[in-house]
This record gives sequence, C-alpha cells and structure tokens, in this order.
Amino acid sequence: MSIKVKTIVRNGRSWQERLYLIEVFKGMAITFRHFLSNFLDNSKLAVRHYPEVKPEITPRWRGRHRLTTHEDGTIKCVACYMCQTNCPAQCIQIEAGERGDDRTEKVPVKFDIDLLECIYCGYCVEACPMDAIRMDTGIFSVTSSTREEMKMSIDQLLATKGAFSEEEYKKGGA
Amino acid sequence: MTLQDIILIIIRVAFGAFVPLCFVAVSVWMERRGASFIQDRSGPNRANILGFRAGGLVQNLADAVKLFFKEDVIPGHIKHKFYFVLAPIIVCVTALVSFAVVPFADTLVLGGKEYLMQAIPTDLGILWFLAIVGFSVYGIILAGWSSHSKYGMLGGLRAAAQTISYEIPMVLAIISLLVVYGTVSLNEMAQFQGQLLFGFIPMWGVLLQPLGVIIFIIAAFAEANRVPFDLAEGESELVAGYHVEYSGLKFTIFFMGEYVAMFASSAIIVTLYFGGYQIPWFNTATLIKYAVPVTLLLMIVTPVAAKFIAAWIRKNNVSHYERENDPRVREANVYIKIVWGTVILLEAILFLYLVFASGGAADNILVACLQVCTFLAKTTCMLFVYVWVRWTLPRFRYDQLQKLGWNVLLPLSLLNIFVTSAIVVALS
Amino acid sequence: MAEMVKLSVNGQEVEVEAGKNLIDAVGAVGIEIPHLCYHPALGADGNCRMCLVGIEDGRPPLVPACKTQAAEGMKVQLDAEHIKKIQHDVMELELINHPTDCPICDQAGECALQDYYQKYDGQESRMTVPQVQKSKKLDFGCGVVHDQERCILCARCVRFTRQITKTGELGIVNRTDDARVTIFPGRPLNNRYALNVVDLCPVGAMTSKDFRFKQRVWFLSRDKGVCHGCSKGCNIFIDHNKEKYKDDIIYRFRPRQNDQVNGYFICDEGRMTYKKENEDRLTVAKVNNAESIISSAVDTLKNAVSSSSNPVFLVSPNCSLEQMFAIKKLGETKGATLCGFSDGYIKQGDGDDLLIQDDKSANRAGLELLGVDTSKEAFQSAMKEADLLVNFNSDLTNSFDADTLDELLANCKFVMVATTQDILTDRAEIVIPVAAYSEYSGSVINADNILQMFNKAVVKNEPFDDIVNIVSRIGGDIEDNSAAWAGMKASVPTLKDVEPEQIPEQGLALNS
Repeated sequence: MSIKVKTIVRNGRSWQERLYLIEVFKGMAITFRHFLSNFLDNSKLAVRHYPEVKPEITPRWRGRHRLTTHEDGTIKCVACYMCQTNCPAQCIQIEAGERGDDRTEKVPVKFDIDLLECIYCGYCVEACPMDAIRMDTGIFSVTSSTREEMKMSIDQLLATKGAFSEEEYKKGGA
Repeated sequence: MTLQDIILIIIRVAFGAFVPLCFVAVSVWMERRGASFIQDRSGPNRANILGFRAGGLVQNLADAVKLFFKEDVIPGHIKHKFYFVLAPIIVCVTALVSFAVVPFADTLVLGGKEYLMQAIPTDLGILWFLAIVGFSVYGIILAGWSSHSKYGMLGGLRAAAQTISYEIPMVLAIISLLVVYGTVSLNEMAQFQGQLLFGFIPMWGVLLQPLGVIIFIIAAFAEANRVPFDLAEGESELVAGYHVEYSGLKFTIFFMGEYVAMFASSAIIVTLYFGGYQIPWFNTATLIKYAVPVTLLLMIVTPVAAKFIAAWIRKNNVSHYERENDPRVREANVYIKIVWGTVILLEAILFLYLVFASGGAADNILVACLQVCTFLAKTTCMLFVYVWVRWTLPRFRYDQLQKLGWNVLLPLSLLNIFVTSAIVVALS
Repeated sequence: MAEMVKLSVNGQEVEVEAGKNLIDAVGAVGIEIPHLCYHPALGADGNCRMCLVGIEDGRPPLVPACKTQAAEGMKVQLDAEHIKKIQHDVMELELINHPTDCPICDQAGECALQDYYQKYDGQESRMTVPQVQKSKKLDFGCGVVHDQERCILCARCVRFTRQITKTGELGIVNRTDDARVTIFPGRPLNNRYALNVVDLCPVGAMTSKDFRFKQRVWFLSRDKGVCHGCSKGCNIFIDHNKEKYKDDIIYRFRPRQNDQVNGYFICDEGRMTYKKENEDRLTVAKVNNAESIISSAVDTLKNAVSSSSNPVFLVSPNCSLEQMFAIKKLGETKGATLCGFSDGYIKQGDGDDLLIQDDKSANRAGLELLGVDTSKEAFQSAMKEADLLVNFNSDLTNSFDADTLDELLANCKFVMVATTQDILTDRAEIVIPVAAYSEYSGSVINADNILQMFNKAVVKNEPFDDIVNIVSRIGGDIEDNSAAWAGMKASVPTLKDVEPEQIPEQGLALNS
C-alpha cells in the first residue's frame, strides 16, 4: 500500500519573489488597472444601484414571514407551537385558543414574531405541519423607527400576501 | 515691517495651516473612492446638497457633521483625563507643524525682498521635520497608556517600537541624501533638483538616490502607521489599537491627525525626491525668463484640458439604470458649466496679466502660483500612492515588520550611505 | 424484601421480584415492555395486545405480559422478529382510526401512542378508506373533555371509574370500529377524582378543560412537590414554565406515584390548588397601608416585635416543619405566645376513605409534634392580653367572621407574613410577602404521620424570601433549614434519629 504524494508548488521562494518589491509593483499594477478603468468609465462597476434598483428575489429567498389562509380566508395556523419550539432565536410567541369554525379545535389568539430577534433561518417554515407560515413575502428590508413596530402581530402577518404564485413557490423547493 | 511683509506672512501661515486640513477631506475622499474603484465598487456617492454630490465629497461633510455631534465619551476607568485629552492633540498638532518647513514655491522676490515660501521661514528644514515627526509618536503612546485598556496599551507599544525601528533607516536614508544635496534646507534641496542631469534629465532625488527613495518611502509608510504597517491599529487583533477608547471629537482629531501626517510626509517625499515645487525642465529662472510664452501655452492648454474633463463628467455623472429625467445629467451640466466658467476666469486673468502686468513683480507671483500648483499636484499623486498601496498590500505580521526594519532596511541604508559617499567623493 | 426470581429477557439474565406480572417485574429493572391498557393501579385487562411477548417453554407462541406472572427460569422473548411484527401490527391497528392531529393535541409529547409509533411502527398509513368519524370535544363534566376519535379503547378510564371511585360513570358502547367511550345520557362524570382519567389516558382522548391549549407539554419543567391542599400530602409533579419575558408560572399539578401516601392519584381539588400559587399573590410589602420595600418592612416588624410587651405569633398549619420551628424559637427569644389555632382549616365530614382528608392543612401533625397549642381558647385568651399579632400565613377568615375578627384585633397591632392577598392583608398594618410552598424547600408531616421532604420547584423572576429567612431577619436564631433541623433533632425526641438528607422519596413513617 503506497501513500499518494501530491507535491504542492510553493510560490514565493524564487529570488524575485523574495525581493518582494517586484511582486508589490505587480500587485499595484493590477489594482491601478482596475482603478483607471473604473475612474474613466464607471458604468461597469460590479454594484447594484440599490435602492433604485431592487435585487431580484427568488421564491426560495427567506423574507419576512406571513401567515397563510385557507381559500375561505380562515387562518391555516392551528397553534401547534412547532415553530415556537424550533425557533433558535425564540422570537415567536404564540397563545392558543379554541377555534370557532369547524376546521379544527385550536387557533392562535396571539402570534407574535419579533423581527428584531428573528435570524431568518426558516426553521419555522420547515417545522410547520400546516404550511401556515411562509417566508415568501419577498420583503427583505425590514426597518422601523421603534422596537414595538418590529413585533409583527397576527393581523400584520395575515395581511401580507405572498410575492409568488403557488407553482413558483412549490418549485422553489417548499 | 511693511504691509507686503504682513500680507505674505499671513498668506504663508494660512497656507501651512489650512492646506493640510483641506487635504484631509481630499485624502479621505480619495481613499474611499479610490478604494472602491480599485475594488470595482462605487464608493460613497449618495450624500448630496440640493442634488449636488461633488463626486462624493459631500459625504465627507456628512461624516464630519456626524463626528462633531457624536457623544464624546471619556470612559469612567480612565484616571488621567488630561493626558487622555492631550494625546490626540499632540498627534494632530505635530503632524501640522511638521509640514510648516516644507517649501511650496521657490523663494519669492518682491520689491527686492526675498520671501521663503514656507509657513515657518527657517533653514532647519529636514532636521525640524525629523524632530517633530519623532515627537508625534508620543501622542500615540500617551493615548495607548492613558486609555488604560489592554488593546490601547498594546497598540501604543506597537506604534512606539515600530516608529523607533523605522526612524533609523529613515534618518540614514536622509543622511545619504544630505551627502548628495550638501544642505539641510528643504528649499535649497528643491532648488538643487531644478538642475538638469546630463543636460536633459531633471536632477530629481529619485534618480540620484534610487535605493534611498525606496527606503525612505517604506519608512515613511511605517512612520505614518499606514497599511501595510498599520499594526498599531490592527483591528483584527487589537480592535482599533491606541484609539479604541476614543470617540466623537477626540477620535476625529486622531483621524485628522493621521491624514495630516500622511499629507505632510507626502509633501516631504515630494520635496526630497520628486523635485518639490519644481516643474520638470522649467526651473524658477527659466520660468521667469519665459513667463509670456508659458502663459500663452497655459491659455491654450487649459481649454483643451477642460474639454476632456467636461467629456469625462458627461460620461460618468449619469445614473446607470433606467431613470426618467435623470437628475445626474442636470447635475453634470452644472459641473461642466462650472468647469468652463473657471477656464474663462483663468483665461481672463492670464489675458489681463499679458496685457497689463507682464514683466516685473507679476512674473514672480505667476511663477510662485504655478509652483504651488505643481507642488500640490505632486503631493496629491503621492497621497494617491498611499491609498493605492493600502488597497493593494496586506498587513505585515509584527515580527516581519521588525525583521524588515532591522535586517533589511538598516543594512541597505548603511550601504547606501557608503556607496553615495564614495561616488560623491570620487566625483568631486 | 420480596422474593426474587431469576429469568432471562432476550437471553439476558435478570433478577426480578416474584409475584408480579412481567410488565412490572421486568420494568423495575429497566426493560420496557410496551403496553397501552395495563396500568398498575387498574390491573391487567389484556385488551390492547401491545404487551404480547414470547415465552420459550411450550406455551402458545404469544402471551400478554400483563397477565403473565414472572417465574423462575422463564425465557422471555422481546426482540424476536414475530414479536416486533406483532407490536408493529398492533400499532397499525390502533392508528387506523386515530386522527394524526398531534399538532393540536395536548397529549403530544407525553403520548404513549406517539412514542410507540416512533419506536415500534414508523410507517405511513396503508389505509385508503376514510377514517371513522366520531364525536369530538365532548364535555364529560368535572373539567374532562373527551375526543372519541383519538380514543384507542384501552378502557383505563372506564376501569378507573368502576374500580377506584366506584362511581362507574363511563362505559364503552357499540362494537368494533364504532365502539366509543361515553357517559350515560344526562349523567356526566361526578366524582372528586375525575381528572385522573386525563393522566390515565395513554393518548389525547381525555383532556383537561383547565389545561387545554395552555402549554405544550415539552415546554414544561417537571419538578417534584408535595400537595398542600389537605393533610394527605399527596405527591405531585409541579409542571411549570418560565416563558420568555414572563414569570415562572405553574400550569398544572400531576399525581406522582407514592405507594405509601397517595398511590397513583390525587383529587381534583388538590390538583386545582396550583392556581393559588399563581393568582392573587402578594407582591409588595406594606407598612401602614403604604407600599414599602421588603427589607424596610422587615425592619419595621423587627422593631415592632422588640418593642411589643406581649406579642402573639400565629403559625399556619401549612408552614413547613422548619418554618414552624424557626417561629417557635423566635417566640421563645422574644417572649411571645405561640399559637397554632387553625380550626377553620378543618372541614368536618369532607374527607373520604380514598385520599381526601377533613383537615385542609398540610402540616398539622407538625404543629402537634413541635408542641404548639392549637386550641381556640388559648388563642382567644392570648389575644386578650396581646398588643401585637404576627400572623405567619394563617388564614383566620375561615375560622372567624369579619365582626369577630374586628373584635379580636381591636386592641393590637396586626402583622401579616403571607403569600396571598386577602382581606387580612388588607387590614394588616405591616404586610410582608413570602415564598409559597412551590418556591421553598421544607418538610411536612401528613395525617398518617409520614414525614416528607420537598424541594424548591418554581423560581420566580423576583423570588420572595422563605418564612425561615424572614424570621431570622426579625431576630430569630434559626438561619436556614439545616439549622432548623439541628435544633429540631436536639429538642424533639421523635425527630432525634431523622437525618433530613436521608428521608426517602416515599416519605418516612414516624413512629409515635
């Protein structure tokens, strides 16, 4: 049994390289080329002109959360606490109550997501047995001037609609 | 003391005091936009006043306002508040004062009187510079010590060891330069560089001292605590080094001090090795002699340059995305008008000079102005080199830094003295 | 020590107690035989077939472990392929009509069916026909809510009402997949132990109306405790949870097995006493009706006790032994009359022969052991002389009506050291909040003279001090429970040989 030996080429041993100055000038030539071309024509910069140009959000992007509803508009969530249990940031706080309609018995009366604590990992979406919580709103910039506004209530979460069609969302791997 | 004396004193002192401070803004702007262009980014280009962004310069104003209005915290654990406050002032003031002996134009002769165009008209020259720069490290050490924190302390110690190590090759490089120039006065050095080598090459220090210039520039980088030698700040291991406890205005002063020092050392490098205020092939005497043709040349060159600048503005000051009624195009139009306005003003002044004032004292003033512009242009180029190197090279490790200083630069500079002296002796 | 027999399980030699069935005998040494209908308190029924095991001695291939006595030399097969298949098939049978609504089922997390599915089944349903629909959310009375769809017909609840409470409200009607547990029309559950069926139910068919949807069980911390609802001292689990940004709150009590005290069950009344630990708690100290910080209220009380010429200390029969002893010692140093009057705690004729006692206090035996006078006459005569009454958490309102109280307290300063807010704390001049029994460690002696220790379970965000601690700050010598024990061992003959660390979990029967 022989050991496979792979010889790795070590750079930086020749005298030109050990002199260092030559390599420094080479590096500076590269950076200066970039500088000059961008200085003379700044149209090819590798930047997106946000906020005027918005990034393209794919269906797999984990944006701000929303709670989904059945066709008749009733909430899908059954307050099973799976998302709250799984949440590594502990940003979800649910309170359950009796459900009025004939779908199931349980419904959330309070469903708060503190977006300041949320780390947008998507575990809540993974955990949900009802497909009741999704992160497909396409909202990636969540800002507010007060802490209180960052706490999403059940109504706010229900009010937002998904940014993608059902087919696109499902194709995204959900 | 005549009125002329007083006016010239005011002009020179004002130049020495305000130009470095103005160049803080220029260097910061150059640093940020230069860095971004080197990295294919855009850099700060949003801050504006009434839609005018001045290529990102307005961002500096915004930053300055922010820094001035920030809460100025002195941490509770600091025992020596006086030294804590003194440290940034030392750093900033020494940097400013070290620039005071740099000549920004040749000796101005007005009404038979000679005026040294330095903020402090002294012949101490390079000695003054060395003395003051050596003092600036006290500010850093004091900041590190009085911060009473481990990061600050380590940053201060590093800065001290580094500055002492690199001062030696720096001074030795200057010694060989002194052997060549035979003077310590910076103005005389600049005048020396106005000569021509073999009759057609400007006799700049960089050609006479090729090894010396490399040693000096490396040492100057280390003295200014700039990348690749900014171990005193080393954010990855020391957070921010000696200024970790500073905030608000005191941090601003540190920040400004760093850029003023950078400007001063650029000015010194230019003066010592790149001909100072001298325009290549046109030394002061030649310029005064050919004042009228030079003016005519200027009157032709400026509109041509303005044309290129206008085209550049037109091309680059636009929004690179779909936008109705692009306000940046309107902005560009205003800039172009300003450029042409400046050109017309300049042409008018030169024309008036040609018609009414050519020959006599006005010639001298014109030459002084040209030399000031040359000096500032050269210094700006050197500042760009600082930026350029910063965004090209990674930081040294501390042992590498010391090894480079003691094992490489010190013997090289000694060798340089030896060789230079031998040649100078042989030639004389 | 019971007689031991040797038998082998899966070829592994184990020594188990003789005379028990296989589930209990083998379970005691840590080998689990899955079972749904068997419960040690209710006996073997043999209807679920989950506990079928093989025994290699010429018997039929499979026998129910719940009905098989452990015997010498038995070779029990648990991991043979055909046993695994039987377990797997039984699980599949149980799950045919069981709705998998675990997300909304309160039992999820402590559900036998869920655990066994993970362990013994783990396959998806092969059924193509819709599940049988039955009634859901039936109110059976006594706070029991029944879901017939989730029921697996193990009949534990039915057997409980027949064998334990002997009321027989529940029965199974119909046959095969239409069989269901139900009550007789118009006759809901009507006994004082009804909520035990919630604990007995291996699945989520029986749920408690009180606990329903309050918490998922995996959030709860289960700490051991002793119920202070009556002098039985039933062992309980205190299920509590401290939610983010909230205080540590008790959500329910569950019975904890203790054969010496309560067996497997607790009464409904005791189960609901957790509410007293959460609600109407005294949270601020008061001095002369003005809110005060606790330490300064304690200082005021200290001065009041020192300056009083004739103080009376009233001890609650719910206090722990340590607290009683600390108060007693304080009384001795301060020259106070110590009273344990608490007739109001006794509800004559309320008890039954199962668990519930007449005496609704947890530690009256302790009072008597420490020699505290509990007679009404002694209290009333002491009050005639008294200029200061310090009431350590004793509820006087159940002994006296408001007028009598006014008369009693007319001439003396009244101090309450209490856990809950009531009309007594409203009229007291100094009020000091203290920890309730779920928040301190201590020991109590129950009606059967069994000494039990319990530990601190709940840690509030701003915990209150134990009475022992308050007493030591007033000037008592007893600083903590260990000092109290040292003192008690020295002065109480019955406790002379008792080591508090060595009291078994089952409790120590005191021979007196």
